[in-house]
Amino acid sequence: MTEVLGNQIQGLNIVLGALQAATGETCKNCIGLEGAKTKVGKMAKKLGMDLEAAAICCEKTKADLQSRIDSLSKAAEELKIAEECECQKTAGNCKIGEGCFVNAAVDLIKLVH
Amino acid sequence: MAKVRCGRILSEDIYIEEGDTTTLYFINNLRAYQVVLAALKALDQDICHDGCSLPSTVNKAIKRLGKLKNDLETSDVAAKEKESLLSKIDTFLADANRLPQDTSQTCRKSAGECIIGAGCFATGALNLINVVTEPKA
Repeated sequence: MTEVLGNQIQGLNIVLGALQAATGETCKNCIGLEGAKTKVGKMAKKLGMDLEAAAICCEKTKADLQSRIDSLSKAAEELKIAEECECQKTAGNCKIGEGCFVNAAVDLIKLVH
Repeated sequence: MAKVRCGRILSEDIYIEEGDTTTLYFINNLRAYQVVLAALKALDQDICHDGCSLPSTVNKAIKRLGKLKNDLETSDVAAKEKESLLSKIDTFLADANRLPQDTSQTCRKSAGECIIGAGCFATGALNLINVVTEPKA
């Protein structure tokens, strides 16, 4: 269980790194980033709940993992998005094609099996 | 021709003339590298720092940025826009050059430390570039 949680924490850290870069982008005004912020916030919360329910004997390991999850939660909360968001493709400001940087960044978590 | 906003790179709003797909191609790539490099920087705080996949990915990103720079230099993008985009590529290259590039270290999976499964965060991060599908180069 410690391994699974550790892997998910690693993954979420990278997702958040990518999302932080997206906040300095057109994505700051995008509903996609707004949704991703909610999603990663929930992921961090779920990680916290999973950790609480996990049978981890070593208190120090548990405390370390909790502290990393808390940092991720804080980073998710601090993602700066505009007050009013709309899809930037619909608004005509994002012309990258069918894909979406934000969704692709969140999908990096799927690399954890 | 009317100018339209098509991205924000390094905190600067970028505008192009509507229908200028050549300039848009370079802008979209730079938008992607902005996200890719941030993901790679996050990875550098991870065990990947001591592995070989992150350096290998960083080297690939540097090579591709170099190619993008050459392509931009020889393109017919307007001089002012070209200069601005070239300076952004240089910033990204400087960022990438600060990341690990020594591929002689052992892959953290082989070392038994990375147990995320078949995937690889470094490769996945670079693949964010593939999100850019328009305009076709």
